[in-house]
Amino acid sequence: MKKRISYEYSSEGVRQSILRHAKSLRMPDGWAEQIAQRVAKACDVWIEDKDIVTEDDLRIFICKELEGISPDLAYSYHNHDKII
Amino acid sequence: MSDLLCFATIALAGFAQASLQLSFGGLILLYHASMGQHRRKKTRRLTRAYVLGALIITMLAVSGIAFWISQFAGQALTLEATMICVGVFLATAAVMWLLYYRRGRNTELWLPRSFSRFINRRAKATNDQIEAFSLGTLSAFAEMPMSLAIFFVVANCILTTSAELQIVALLFYLLIVALPMLTLKFYVRNGNSVVTAQQWRVKHKLFTRFVSCASFITLSAFMLAFWVY
Repeated sequence: MKKRISYEYSSEGVRQSILRHAKSLRMPDGWAEQIAQRVAKACDVWIEDKDIVTEDDLRIFICKELEGISPDLAYSYHNHDKII
Repeated sequence: MSDLLCFATIALAGFAQASLQLSFGGLILLYHASMGQHRRKKTRRLTRAYVLGALIITMLAVSGIAFWISQFAGQALTLEATMICVGVFLATAAVMWLLYYRRGRNTELWLPRSFSRFINRRAKATNDQIEAFSLGTLSAFAEMPMSLAIFFVVANCILTTSAELQIVALLFYLLIVALPMLTLKFYVRNGNSVVTAQQWRVKHKLFTRFVSCASFITLSAFMLAFWVY
């Protein structure tokens, strides 16, 4: 059976990971930072009443949030591990 | 065999190898991970090292096989060995069409998932040129089940050309193999995002599958026409 790894949710981690994707899309720094903060805040609110979430749930939520702001960024976030 | 025929075979073989997706996909991964973490200059250096790594392994493999053929097979592949290569190309064409890509709107390949995750992890963790070089060599190694027969044919062609053209033939082959990676480098360098390139790959997956398959079939038909008969 596959061992499950659990770790504490980090708003900063979400922000950083969105920033990384935004940078790889060559988004302007200010705009990237703004998007990252907005989505990280939305994540904080969404996760508040949950005891446990899977990484996939979190990723789907982030992609949904990003879809409304920047579809390219949402695409990058959702598909970065499906290249090879 | 005339030099022109050898160069034509090398061009076709190079094209068939260039249509393989692992090294190219690895480069996209490296770009994606590096552009999110490093300055553009560093990303350029890392991707250059990656391409160099993939090309050097290819060059060493072809040169090694050429040496092996010249030492043990008497200057050129036998007719039987050439026929085996043709058979392998046809099998590879079938694999390219039926199995190479996974289903779905992505460009995932039928690699062991643990290996694909390993390359993903390495691309993210790559911080200096030696690591990028190693990643390039790793991707070229991982592609070898598909490209080994091509190496044999290219090595054979190189041995058959006149002595003064052998280095030129090898460089010509490497240039064709590097073309997709160099094109991506220029594309990104011109201000485009690597995600656009990946979106193009996903959108035209059927086309790339067809091109890969067709290039292997053409190569085998060419080999049958000019090297066997």
